[in-house]
Amino acid sequence: MVTVMKILEIIVSPLVALIVGIFFLGLFRKMMARIQWRYGPPLIQPVIDLVRLFNQRGFSHGAVFDLGIILSLAGALVLVLFIPIGGMCPLANSGGLLVILYVMLFAPIGIALSGGEGANPNISIGISRKLILTLSYEVPFIFIILSLMSYYQTISIVEIVKAQAHYHWSLFSPLFLSGVAYFMILPAMLGIRPFDMASAPQEISSGIDVEYGGKYLAFSQIEHALSLFIVIALFVNLFLGGGNLPVFLLKMLAVFVCGVFIHASFPRFRIEQATKYLWFWPTIISFISLIVIQLIR
Amino acid sequence: MLIQSILIIAFGGAFLTYILGKASSALRDFLAVLISVSLTVLIFLAYGKTGEIAFASFMNLPLVLRINHLSWFFAIAIQTVTTLSVIFSLSYMKGKERVDFYYLMMLLCNSAMLGIVLSGDFVSFYIFWEIMSWSAFLLISYNRGGALYAGMKYIVMSIIGSMCMLIGIMSLYSTYGTLNIREIHDLISTASGEYLLFISILFLAAFGVKSALWPIHVWLPPAHSEAPSPFSAVLSSILIKMGIYGFVLILYVISGAALYLGLGGGSFRYILTLLAAITIIIPTFNALMQDDAKRLLAWSSIAQIGYIILGISIGTSLGLIGGLFHFFNHVAFKALLFLAVGAIEYRTGTRDLNSLGGLIKKMPVTFIAVLAGTFGLIGIPLTNGFVSKWLIYKTLILNNHPFLAFAALVGTWGTILYSYKLIHNIFLGQLPENLEHTKPAPASMKLPFIILSVVIVLFGILPGIPLKLINLITASLGFDLLNINIWGIASESGPLNIINIFAAFAVALIVVWFFFLISGKKVVISQDNSYAAGIDVPKGKYHYTVDFYNPMFRMIKPYFRDYMDEFYSQLVKALASLSDRVRRLYCGDLGVYVIYIVLFLSILVISKIGLNLW
Amino acid sequence: MDRNQIKKWLESPGKMGHKYSLWAVYFCTGCGIIEIPPVITSRWDAERFGVLPAPSPRQANLFLITGYVSVKTLKAIIKTYEQMPEPKYTVGFGSCPINGGMYWDSYNTIKHLDKYIPIDGWIAGCMPRPEAIFIAVTHLWTLIDKGMAKGYVKYRENYGRYRENQEKALGKLEWPRLFPIKDENE
Repeated sequence: MVTVMKILEIIVSPLVALIVGIFFLGLFRKMMARIQWRYGPPLIQPVIDLVRLFNQRGFSHGAVFDLGIILSLAGALVLVLFIPIGGMCPLANSGGLLVILYVMLFAPIGIALSGGEGANPNISIGISRKLILTLSYEVPFIFIILSLMSYYQTISIVEIVKAQAHYHWSLFSPLFLSGVAYFMILPAMLGIRPFDMASAPQEISSGIDVEYGGKYLAFSQIEHALSLFIVIALFVNLFLGGGNLPVFLLKMLAVFVCGVFIHASFPRFRIEQATKYLWFWPTIISFISLIVIQLIR
Repeated sequence: MLIQSILIIAFGGAFLTYILGKASSALRDFLAVLISVSLTVLIFLAYGKTGEIAFASFMNLPLVLRINHLSWFFAIAIQTVTTLSVIFSLSYMKGKERVDFYYLMMLLCNSAMLGIVLSGDFVSFYIFWEIMSWSAFLLISYNRGGALYAGMKYIVMSIIGSMCMLIGIMSLYSTYGTLNIREIHDLISTASGEYLLFISILFLAAFGVKSALWPIHVWLPPAHSEAPSPFSAVLSSILIKMGIYGFVLILYVISGAALYLGLGGGSFRYILTLLAAITIIIPTFNALMQDDAKRLLAWSSIAQIGYIILGISIGTSLGLIGGLFHFFNHVAFKALLFLAVGAIEYRTGTRDLNSLGGLIKKMPVTFIAVLAGTFGLIGIPLTNGFVSKWLIYKTLILNNHPFLAFAALVGTWGTILYSYKLIHNIFLGQLPENLEHTKPAPASMKLPFIILSVVIVLFGILPGIPLKLINLITASLGFDLLNINIWGIASESGPLNIINIFAAFAVALIVVWFFFLISGKKVVISQDNSYAAGIDVPKGKYHYTVDFYNPMFRMIKPYFRDYMDEFYSQLVKALASLSDRVRRLYCGDLGVYVIYIVLFLSILVISKIGLNLW
Repeated sequence: MDRNQIKKWLESPGKMGHKYSLWAVYFCTGCGIIEIPPVITSRWDAERFGVLPAPSPRQANLFLITGYVSVKTLKAIIKTYEQMPEPKYTVGFGSCPINGGMYWDSYNTIKHLDKYIPIDGWIAGCMPRPEAIFIAVTHLWTLIDKGMAKGYVKYRENYGRYRENQEKALGKLEWPRLFPIKDENE
């Protein structure tokens, strides 16, 4: 019975992530339209786009072009299995935060390898920006994860969620500074403005996606939806106390709406401005938080 | 008997190859390969043997050879890499001058390294160490020009290190009256803490220079990039690991874990781990800024050495296993990467990352090799680097070292950036016009690529094979025996399980791949056919992989200079000017010399009369 | 608008997908492009029909050529069209692509764009109003529905003829042929 439940969870949780991620993409476009005083597309517009893309003949530049996009989508799917989604976490006992920190490598690597074969100047620029941005936000992110791990004395994300259910949210504990730092790097992790320089459509023709058409673009969109889900779900689990499925999704929605407002109100940074920002305030705050945690423990 | 025959074949074969080379080059090549392969087989046969044998004596000290799991583990790694490098050299060195000398030095260096790991006392250890240093020096400066300078830098630092070691050895002899490693281990528990600290620092200076620990690493980047590529592979993947062997020897074989952890009240370990963390961070960012492929890999070697030393110096069973396993993995993927870059240089004539690109269709096997190598380097699941880095992270986090863990994790992200730069600038992106007729790598180069790639993937999927041996090694060093099965460590402490991650990854890859196959058609087009606002991207005019991480360089360049190198350069300059001043005393004028003599005599007379010193 | 009819979606998802997800390459060749900003921003908001400006032709399926086509731009138009994945639809905007418009006797302007690439529909006028684009889009929906927007098939079948015309106007083209050309004399 336990095994059946586990297998069921393994099948269901990526589906939930996929549905929520794609719903977020649709909501994103609708909300942006409303903020800009437009009517906007229907909520299911991303699904229509995906249907259309799967019915188009994409161009492939070679084996690595295919392989990279498969690797990145597989990485995102695996990552979903390690994140508790409202009490549902099929691979909770096999690594926790450490695996999450590690498996987050694969989506950028896969996309970068795949795009690299496409011999396009825009792709090169996009990848360069994406990798630099990733390295930039990863520095405060690692500090945040480490302070969580040493505060709760566990590397299991399920344990962290449980501990918050007993006491209070991490955001209102000594980890407050870490939570603030996480919120500050959230736009960079989501790849929204002011940190969307890696996929700037007006500037470098959407960067990494330039050569993707047909199913390649569809895969890239799905990967994007999943990574949206993952980053927000991580924040909700680590700092907002998780909860059962409806509560969890509501919290995610709240965080996501904040993200959309940030996206709508900021212009785009240049990449070195982004790095400067991410290596300054969020890093300092998360570093102080880690020291505080070491001291009070 | 087996150990002696290994060393006799190794040394004898090296000189025989040189002599034979004067007669026929084909015969020489054949003999070099034959010797390396037969040595590999011999060492392989020695698996599981333990023993000690005295083979000669030096000033009443018996010279001892011994073999155990630790020696065997290092010996097989050394011999495999040398064999593959020799096979690679067959085509790489064709038509170059002084090839006999090259093979002599290559095999001599190999024999000396085998001697180091097989020697059971410090006299033979030191002799083999010096043979290794000098033959490596001669090979690093093989290309002359800039290589000579790199070689000089290497040998000067190496000699300083060896001198420290010599002092340590003499001190050990005068204290204990023996230089046999096993006997010293038995005696050292009576030593005072200060004396142990003194000995450890002396030895660590020697091994730190060889393994390029952070403040004394400056010889490595020029030496690695200037040496001939097959030897760069040997240099990076095993020669610097002799320092790691030395670390294990001095910290665990001689001192033992308990003594080591208590050294200097624990501050010794603290400083060593801190140095290792710095060795990860700074070279990683330095590697990001390199444009020379081999120089990039050289800096990356230093950073990976940081991981290995971090694992070893943390002093837990899991950390030591992780460090030793990472040593083994680094042997595989760094040898592979250096050889692959050598093949690129052989076919295109350059290793400048700014003038390469788009070679994926021209050299597919080399591309797969570099892909496997960098995946191992980054530590992607299903490659061996994942398991070892995983063990190191795990031990850091379980033992609550958040700042060290931070260094290791940020190092991994830096690794992604520079290894992607390596792949992208050589194989992906645009193909320059002058490389359009590049031929694939010759068969003798492909063979090492295939073998090493298979090793990387095989030990990534079945890490239990090497871990079983490493577990025996750590058990012989006084740690608990862990429960290891073929998939990894079975009864791990804490909820960390590699098998599930592997399984999840394999399943996800298959599912996505299947979905990819059934969903929609694709049209395969050429690499150059890409969108650039309706025009062709002009070939040969633009090269947009130049300065790949330029926005970041602009920021970090002022902070990530090689300060230590500048410091040493200043030191050398100051020393040179001081020597110059001293030299001026000898002005060549006879009258001045007479004055010197008179002055000296008068000082003697005055001191005799006035102070009555003697 | 039959966007919400689930039966139709299940019957022919490809057609419906293409109808309601037209990502457009607005090819800015002349003054016609000035009509596009109001179309995609809050005044007329093309996104409510699923029409979105695509950053690259690889992602698009609608090709909108706005304004006169000089010989030099024709090359870029052909290359961009060939880089779009199939199925793809083209619409000529304004009188200039139709018959040269006010440049009817220019030595340097292409008079009939559909000699060089297949065009699924025209928007006549100098200039057409933004609303005309919506009328064109709804017409295109009908064409897609009835399976009549087959310009890309026509291009593949008559590639020899098109390539001949292109080479007549531009001289020798530096890129290889997209499709194999059947020899019509045999």
